[in-house]
Amino acid sequence: MATILTVDDTASMRQMIGFTLNDAGYEVTEAADGNEALAAARKSKFDAIITDINMPNMDGISLVRELRSLPEYKFTPILMLTTESQDSKRKESKEAGATGWIVKPFNPEQLLNVIKNVLN
Amino acid sequence: MNSSASKNKIFWALITLFIAGSWLLTFSFVSVWVAVSSGLSTAIAMVLIIDFARKQDDFDEFQDASLDEKTSPIDAIDEQLRSAIEPAKGEMNQLPKIDDLLTTMAGASERRRIDGLVGKWAELAKQFNAVKQHLDAQINEVINQSEDATDTIASSFKTVINKATLQASQAMNLLEGTQGATSDGSPQSLQDFIRVSDERLNKMADEVMRVADLSVKMVRDLDDVKDRTQAIDGFLLDVGKLADQTSLLALNADIEASRAGEAGRGFGIVAQEVRRLSKRSNVFSHEIRNHLRMVKNGLNATYSNMQTLTSKDMAHANNIKNEIMTLTKTLEDKNREVAETVSDINTISKEIAQDVQNVVISLQFHDIISQKLNSIAAPMDNLASEIDLLTNETHSLGLADSWNNNLAMQNQQKKSATNGSPQPASNNDGVSKDNAVPNSGPNVELF
Repeated sequence: MATILTVDDTASMRQMIGFTLNDAGYEVTEAADGNEALAAARKSKFDAIITDINMPNMDGISLVRELRSLPEYKFTPILMLTTESQDSKRKESKEAGATGWIVKPFNPEQLLNVIKNVLN
Repeated sequence: MNSSASKNKIFWALITLFIAGSWLLTFSFVSVWVAVSSGLSTAIAMVLIIDFARKQDDFDEFQDASLDEKTSPIDAIDEQLRSAIEPAKGEMNQLPKIDDLLTTMAGASERRRIDGLVGKWAELAKQFNAVKQHLDAQINEVINQSEDATDTIASSFKTVINKATLQASQAMNLLEGTQGATSDGSPQSLQDFIRVSDERLNKMADEVMRVADLSVKMVRDLDDVKDRTQAIDGFLLDVGKLADQTSLLALNADIEASRAGEAGRGFGIVAQEVRRLSKRSNVFSHEIRNHLRMVKNGLNATYSNMQTLTSKDMAHANNIKNEIMTLTKTLEDKNREVAETVSDINTISKEIAQDVQNVVISLQFHDIISQKLNSIAAPMDNLASEIDLLTNETHSLGLADSWNNNLAMQNQQKKSATNGSPQPASNNDGVSKDNAVPNSGPNVELF
């Protein structure tokens, strides 16, 4: 089954994403910010990444830029999962190379459908 | 104006004289009440000085206007006074000008007022920082507490759901076991058990029916045997009749042989022998008929028994079949209940899945609340920056020590706040969120 890296500075969010994805049979690795995520991504290859935008140390958009600069993550699906409401951030994420945008609070079924789509 | 200035000087001289006189009186009399009265006089004199200073310009104008017309008596007085005051004029010039004095006093008063305002402004900035720190601390506390609570709820929820899923899965396995398929032909499920029982029962019923049919056939065969024994009995009766007739003919032959005398003597012996044989034949015939009757009786008994047996077998088999069918029906009902329970469990599982979705959505409230709280704190940060700028600008004016002290305290407070608890806006980009351009895009979008 596919492996997914979830990045969020809020522990409960990580738990909810992990719970939803585990339940659907995905193997999930959690990271609390961009730096941790980048380290994890360098350590092992993930099939998809779900990241928050507003995080300490390294935000989600910077993380996308960093990941896209790595050859093995050039085409990996990266979804932004955020409470961010600015269209400018959405545009910035798209330009950074994000695959999609999901607004919090996420609906588990919707999240799974999106993951299924991007993995296919 | 010169005359007016001279008038002033005269007046001043008079006043000075008056003061000097008062002091002389003071020193002349030892008693206290005199001292008091001289003090009062001094005070009155000062009031008059101030009053005069205020009205000086008016008086000067008045003097300017009037002196031109009326000169003679005043000029004389003026002259007298001038000559009296002239010696002290040098000293008088050395006294501070009242205007300068008043200007200095007014300047000091204004300065004190500005100092006071600046002090209040600094105090306000200090209070704002204190309030900001308090609010930041409270917001942090709310965020931390709600995060702890959400974590606990989320992990408990995860445990509960995992257990519920396991429970449902075990129940399903248990119930599906009663509905499941066979693997080696033996009944492993209730449904299968019912099916196999029904098959076996039908086979058994068929066997019973077949036995019953055979019994009927046997009874028919026995009927045939009975008929044949009856025919044999008839034949034997005929044989007996033949023997009797033979015996009667042999008797007649014997009588005729006796009548023929010596010539019929041998024929008489043959006739007697024939009679003896005939009797024996008759005895055999009787014995055979007796045996045949016994066989007939035996056949009748068997026929009757077989009829009873066949009817009883059929009834018994039918009873058993009905009982088993009733049991099967009961089992089928139970099986239907089990199937309904399985269906209910499936429905409940779906409902739980929907509830899980709702809980997962709701449990994300902490993240949203944290961001909202941080966005509440963000405008205060902006305000604090503005206050910083203003305080620094005010400081650059070089005002009173009280201001500088307040500023120093403020800076100290900020420093300690920065070194202490982390700022709540650590993971947000501040006011931009709430003031941002509203999100016009969909909740989910693939780029």
